[in-house]
Amino acid sequence: MTIVGFIEGPLWYFSLAVFVLGVVWRLVGMLAIGRPKDLSVPTASSAAGAAKAVVLHSVPHGGNLGRTLYHFFAGYLFHIGLFALVLFAAPHIAFFNKMFFTLPWPAMPRWAFIIAAEAAFAGLILLYVRRLTDPVSRGLTDIDDHMGVWLTFLAMLTGCLALQEAHAGLRALHMLSVELLMIYFPFSRLMHAFTFLFARGYTGATYGRRGFTP
Amino acid sequence: MPLERKPTLVSVSMQGGPPAPRARSRCGPRGARTAPDRLRTVVALLVLTLAVLGTAGLLAAQAQSSVRPPDGAAAPPPSAQDTITKPGTAQGPAQGSDLWRKIREGKSGYSATKGPQADTLITSGGVAWRDLHNATVLRYGGWLLLGVVAVVALYFLVRGRIRISGGRSGRFIPRFTLVQRVVHWFMAVLFVLLAVSGLILMFGKHVLLPVLGPYAFAVVASASMQGHNLFGPLFVASTLALLVTFVKGNGYRWVDVKWLFKGGGFFGGHASSHKYNFGEKTWFWWSVVLGLALCVSGFALLFPNMLPDRAAAQLANLVHAGAAILFIAFAIGHIYLGTIGMEGALEGMTNGTVDENWARDHHDLWWQEHKGQATTDRRRAEVLAAERGDAVAGRAGS
Amino acid sequence: MTQPSSGTPTNAAPRAVDVDAAVAKFNALTGAHIAAYLDACVHCGQCAQACHFHEVTRDPRRVPAMKLAPITKVYRRHKAPFAGLRRALGLAPELTRRDLEEWEELIFDSCTMCGRCTVVCPMGIDIASIVALSRQAFAAAGLGPADLFQAADNARDKGSPLGVTKAVLADRVEWLSDEHETDIPLDKDTASHLLLVSSIELMKYPLSVVAMAKLLNAAGVDWTLSSEGYESTNFGFLSGKPDIAKIMLTRIATAAEKVGAKTVIVPECGHAFGVLRWSGANILGRPLPFTVTHITEFLAGLVQGGRLSFKRVDTPMTYHDPCQISRRGGATDAARVLLAAVASDFREMRPTGNYNWCCGGGGGVQAMSRAADVRHEVFRIKIDQVAETGVDTMVSACSNCRLTMDESKTALQWAGTLESLVELLAENVETKASAHA
Repeated sequence: MTIVGFIEGPLWYFSLAVFVLGVVWRLVGMLAIGRPKDLSVPTASSAAGAAKAVVLHSVPHGGNLGRTLYHFFAGYLFHIGLFALVLFAAPHIAFFNKMFFTLPWPAMPRWAFIIAAEAAFAGLILLYVRRLTDPVSRGLTDIDDHMGVWLTFLAMLTGCLALQEAHAGLRALHMLSVELLMIYFPFSRLMHAFTFLFARGYTGATYGRRGFTP
Repeated sequence: MPLERKPTLVSVSMQGGPPAPRARSRCGPRGARTAPDRLRTVVALLVLTLAVLGTAGLLAAQAQSSVRPPDGAAAPPPSAQDTITKPGTAQGPAQGSDLWRKIREGKSGYSATKGPQADTLITSGGVAWRDLHNATVLRYGGWLLLGVVAVVALYFLVRGRIRISGGRSGRFIPRFTLVQRVVHWFMAVLFVLLAVSGLILMFGKHVLLPVLGPYAFAVVASASMQGHNLFGPLFVASTLALLVTFVKGNGYRWVDVKWLFKGGGFFGGHASSHKYNFGEKTWFWWSVVLGLALCVSGFALLFPNMLPDRAAAQLANLVHAGAAILFIAFAIGHIYLGTIGMEGALEGMTNGTVDENWARDHHDLWWQEHKGQATTDRRRAEVLAAERGDAVAGRAGS
Repeated sequence: MTQPSSGTPTNAAPRAVDVDAAVAKFNALTGAHIAAYLDACVHCGQCAQACHFHEVTRDPRRVPAMKLAPITKVYRRHKAPFAGLRRALGLAPELTRRDLEEWEELIFDSCTMCGRCTVVCPMGIDIASIVALSRQAFAAAGLGPADLFQAADNARDKGSPLGVTKAVLADRVEWLSDEHETDIPLDKDTASHLLLVSSIELMKYPLSVVAMAKLLNAAGVDWTLSSEGYESTNFGFLSGKPDIAKIMLTRIATAAEKVGAKTVIVPECGHAFGVLRWSGANILGRPLPFTVTHITEFLAGLVQGGRLSFKRVDTPMTYHDPCQISRRGGATDAARVLLAAVASDFREMRPTGNYNWCCGGGGGVQAMSRAADVRHEVFRIKIDQVAETGVDTMVSACSNCRLTMDESKTALQWAGTLESLVELLAENVETKASAHA
């Protein structure tokens, strides 16, 4: 088997399995811990609070936006760019259709792809250089933060290097870096992509029943 | 509500004593992670990156059979160039040399394709451009870059690392704000990505092609071109940000002339300087001017159809190549001095603070103005640096 | 800070630190919601922008997210999914004594559990709750400020953190009752409402107790104090000692049941309200047999029901929201109802209500003498907020906030005036309403 064949075949299925099973295991394991029932008498709905918190925490509120503008701007630049690239790049759609038998959905035009890529790279680099220089985030940073950023950067970089779609080698290199990212994902803080919903939800449920969702 | 509270209170509550015992904090992320720790992390991640990218060679070798040439870009057989430049052999002796001379001079004819000079078979300007590009810019540019590397290496061998005289004082002076550092590293990341991909595009044909062979080189060149085009536009933003955040203090003064005459102290002796010396100021303006030249010419090359004619594209190409070589040449010196070449220089751009003895060695006039801020409380110095750089409370920094 | 860094013990002699007890406690208290929080933190550091301690010190260590480190370390080794794998690979070290000592100051002195960081957190992590449970683990290990623990022990042994025993209570009540010619019922056989007091009020702001009595009497409420359970503050909770927390709550529950009170009124004390209203049932392990209401909520109800009315005060004033009453208590509107009824020129500060800055002394930090200097610096935020409204008078509804700010006012020589909301109301209550009722 060629290296390309290995990367696009067995290694891909292995990474997919690690990713899916790992994420499910993390989430099930987390939820299985359970939490004691809150015996206090609520004044408002927990469920409404949870739903509200999930939406509310997408933007720093309570007059704090101006204080965290850098994170807000760079964070959304990165995340929106990344999601656009992952979900709406034409080669990705073709890949998903082939791999998961989904129906095709409209792809971004090339100019939108370029803008999304620029945004994603700019956001990621801005967040990372701040992580390395700001005393606050530098103090919080551990090896996992570095790994997450670098693996994501590599996946994005190799994807963009393969933009010409002319070489199987570059395509396989991109797949390889994505596979590394997927294998690392369930064991890392990258899990925030899923856990953010639970964290926001729990807080919303806890405080929503008190009458104010923070 | 005051959004910008001045950190004048830090002293009250920076927990009194020095944070020494916390240097090796074991609980999760925190702790003043030491510089070597961080360095190791970065090196490890670089190795990881190289390992992934290094797989490219293997893949390219394996993928030879699966190369699909871009539409309409069938690789010309090796003899194609000869065919064009030696019309006699291709077209047979029956064709007159007069016709070819006319074509060679750029005579236009009829073409169904519309566009600037689409009706011209051979644009003689293109030949002149190619000669200039290959014979002059690439040749001398290449020698220049190799020369700079050689000079830097030689200097390192002879002079060694420039140490802080008298060693570290253990007292820190705030130097660069968080904004300045973020802008610097944002630009640095883009610079490295663009420089590496750009050098491959510029010199790859002469340096990599013989080593990698045509197929693997095609892969590397394709990757470099896509990456280069993608990161280019972001470089515009970083160059403008650099101009705005670093322009203060970078105007030339009389002391810079004196610094120049003393050879910057690189060959012994001491050359006085404010926050930035002559070399640093020149590097700043060098980056801004060449950066802008690269941005403008780069955009011209990204959107060649928007240019008036082919000559403009050729000019843009020459400017881009020339500016890039000059920029990279200076950058080699900058990176050398910022890392292995000089003790105590890098931390100004990472932590935002410098050792007081380093400041005295290299920026004595700046040190005179800022020595009052020197403190053994590293964390406090870093916080002050992040928020207001070297600005002294009550008056602007130099 | 007079205290040196890195959580050095207050006394010179080395303390016994029971790391295993802390680990066990962390494990026992880590529920699914805590796990979700710990798994969601991306170390972005935006929480620093919301924390008053970071705001005034700019200390990159005093960052809310930093306070998650000890529990995260335990979680990753013991309870998290893949913990076994991590242990096998040596990637999940055990919590150490040194970790605990280094974090002591962050968990106790540097957090008032005000919850502002949660508002700014993109993941919505409830860091204040994690600090509260971390205190239990630290206390189990034997770490924490001695004066905070002393306050908790006093509460258990004498009935109140400031040493207000039953005898002292009776004494104070009799004195106040005579001095101010106000009926303050103590140990009535039955009453529909049980009023609690905080020992800060009894010892430092006794007029506040008189004011509550006047207002309740004016509205014709059937109420009493009880020597079985009178102390509203819960230093057991604040110091991370759940056994003492439970004792304090049990006293209140016993007193309420004895007099047959269906409503327990919490005085001007933020955390007393938060603990009793929202954590009380959970600590006792059973639903409370009465309704818990904060004095501002209760009075607002009386005003809205037409049972109380006030003379208008023309002095311009602003309101400081106690965190546990507004943001984390859900009673934000009550104070506004009351101020609308008594003040002709009430101005909100910015930010206000649920987003207001903390006084710096909540969560038991008021009781930690070594945190005094930082508390005073925090008060500068409040001074600026008040200055921005253009008024000189700041009203609040928490005697702990009041004491904190009074001390800082003196330390910083602030010229403004601090008022208690109930005292303001009592001074201006219209007695006609009571006759009507």
